[in-house]
Amino acid sequence: MFTNESLEPVEFKSSWKKERILSDAEAQTGELQTSGVGCQSFFCHDEGTQTEDESDQRLTMAQVDEGHLLQCLLSVEPLIARSLSNNAKSRAFEDYERGVGEEATSVTCVHTLTHSELSGELQVTSVSWNATGSTVAAAFGRFDHEDWCTHRAAVGTWNLDRRTVKEDKPDTVIDSACCVMCLEFHPENPAWLVGGNFNGEVLVWDLSQEDDLLLATSGIGDDAHREPVTRVHWIRDSSSKKKRYSVISIGGDGKILVWKVDQKKGRLKLQDGFVVMAQSLPRSMKVRGVRGDKEIGVTSLAFSHEDPDTFLVGSESGCIFRCSMHAKGSPAGSHIMSSIPLRSPVTFTFNPHHGPVHAVDCSRFHRHAFVSSGQDQCLRVYNLLQAQPVLTIEPGKGYLFSACWSPVNPTVFAAVTESGHLLLYDLSSANLVPTHTVEASPAKQPVFCLQFNSKQHQLLATGDGGGSVRVFKLSKDLVSSTAHKLEQLENLINTGTE
Amino acid sequence: MSDVEEVLKRIQGHKGVIGTIVINQDGIPIRTTLDNSTTVQYAGLLCSLTQKARSTVRDLDPSNDLTFLRIRSKKNEIMCAPCSEYLLVVIQAAEVQ
Repeated sequence: MFTNESLEPVEFKSSWKKERILSDAEAQTGELQTSGVGCQSFFCHDEGTQTEDESDQRLTMAQVDEGHLLQCLLSVEPLIARSLSNNAKSRAFEDYERGVGEEATSVTCVHTLTHSELSGELQVTSVSWNATGSTVAAAFGRFDHEDWCTHRAAVGTWNLDRRTVKEDKPDTVIDSACCVMCLEFHPENPAWLVGGNFNGEVLVWDLSQEDDLLLATSGIGDDAHREPVTRVHWIRDSSSKKKRYSVISIGGDGKILVWKVDQKKGRLKLQDGFVVMAQSLPRSMKVRGVRGDKEIGVTSLAFSHEDPDTFLVGSESGCIFRCSMHAKGSPAGSHIMSSIPLRSPVTFTFNPHHGPVHAVDCSRFHRHAFVSSGQDQCLRVYNLLQAQPVLTIEPGKGYLFSACWSPVNPTVFAAVTESGHLLLYDLSSANLVPTHTVEASPAKQPVFCLQFNSKQHQLLATGDGGGSVRVFKLSKDLVSSTAHKLEQLENLINTGTE
Repeated sequence: MSDVEEVLKRIQGHKGVIGTIVINQDGIPIRTTLDNSTTVQYAGLLCSLTQKARSTVRDLDPSNDLTFLRIRSKKNEIMCAPCSEYLLVVIQAAEVQ
């Protein structure tokens, strides 16, 4: 059944393995060619120089006969002594125009500063000079809001002592999410700046910091202003013995708040507070049916230079109030929320302007003199002791947005107008026309703010509605003062008090 | 303190005086209350100016002589008082407040 059988072997080739085919080939690179070339550098020379010894500046005292010298000196001493004492008392050169011809007799614009990134959309709401008088800061914002502020505002500073001042770009820019309405430099620390914005927040910046300039803020809440902050000011802290400064801020909600700067926490701590209420208005301005504890918006603030507790506030109603830090006025109405009790600071009410008061400023040279300007186009000079103004000037150039006394000349004050002019008045001149009228706005925009430089007396800064800051150099007659002018101011202020 | 110093101190004590220099006839300072470089400058310049003024006065009238030269400038007043062979220079600030 089974038989042996041998079958033919079957052969099949691998399908995945290919047979390798080898072949020989040759390659050869081209021959490398090298060649040698020699070179040699030039010969060097050494040479020395030496500056000359400044021996001619050396002081060599000559030796003299003491007795003879004494005799000589004694012979001329009476002459010299008489001249020296006469000179000290002399008034011969008092009215002498020094350097006639070389110093400008007119007011000239030396800088026009703008922040080009804002492309002129924002107005300059406030300007301030720092403690050294070299840097000017401008707050950018708008006064004409119809609803929420959505502007991208800023604060810019320019150092005018630098060799090249970039006029279209500030040295430092602080961006702000809403309009900055006012600012002021610290009176001693040149880097500190306080500002108030449209939301009612008060902020302190330190310009010497590298990245985060914000030093302290009041935040927004019941304690802060509920309306735009209209003015901020540094005041000497009376409670501490050290030279410390607090911030005082006023706002459209009638509140006057005193803040203590707490650097560690980065907060402004509410120290004291006042509120100006309708009951302080003169009888003629009271409206029937309005509660007496209704607050009045305050727009301007000025502290007396003699008495640190007395200050003046100008209001939207047109009234100017004399206030005291220690006043124990009636408390605020229950509708005002605050963590500390607010009271009325008003001690006296002056004869009102016929429209909102835009600026008040106390004289540095007379303890009772102050100037005010308002929407009624009037400039008024008041005596602190009487309700009626001692002087009223109507320049007829539209609303007067700001007015300021000169820090050096007792009789000079300046005002800026809606028509874009800077007016400089000198009360020592007989007639009440401006001694200088200067175009302070390149595009004839209203000029909102003005500030004299209290360190470099010849400088004055203005800010206008087109977003440009102008720095003016004042003429010599405006910055020089004589004892005679002080008398003239006193005579003017004291008229009518007897 | 010698008497010369006392006289100079009295002059320096006047109101507004900035500096006092005594110069000899060669323009070399003898006594000074100012710093070295200022003194050298004042001494050299004022000596030649005073000599010029003196020769002017003498040329106009040979019997006359310069007694006192006062220079009023914006910043100060320089008084030069010649006495025999010395020159006393006193600088006083122009605005004595």
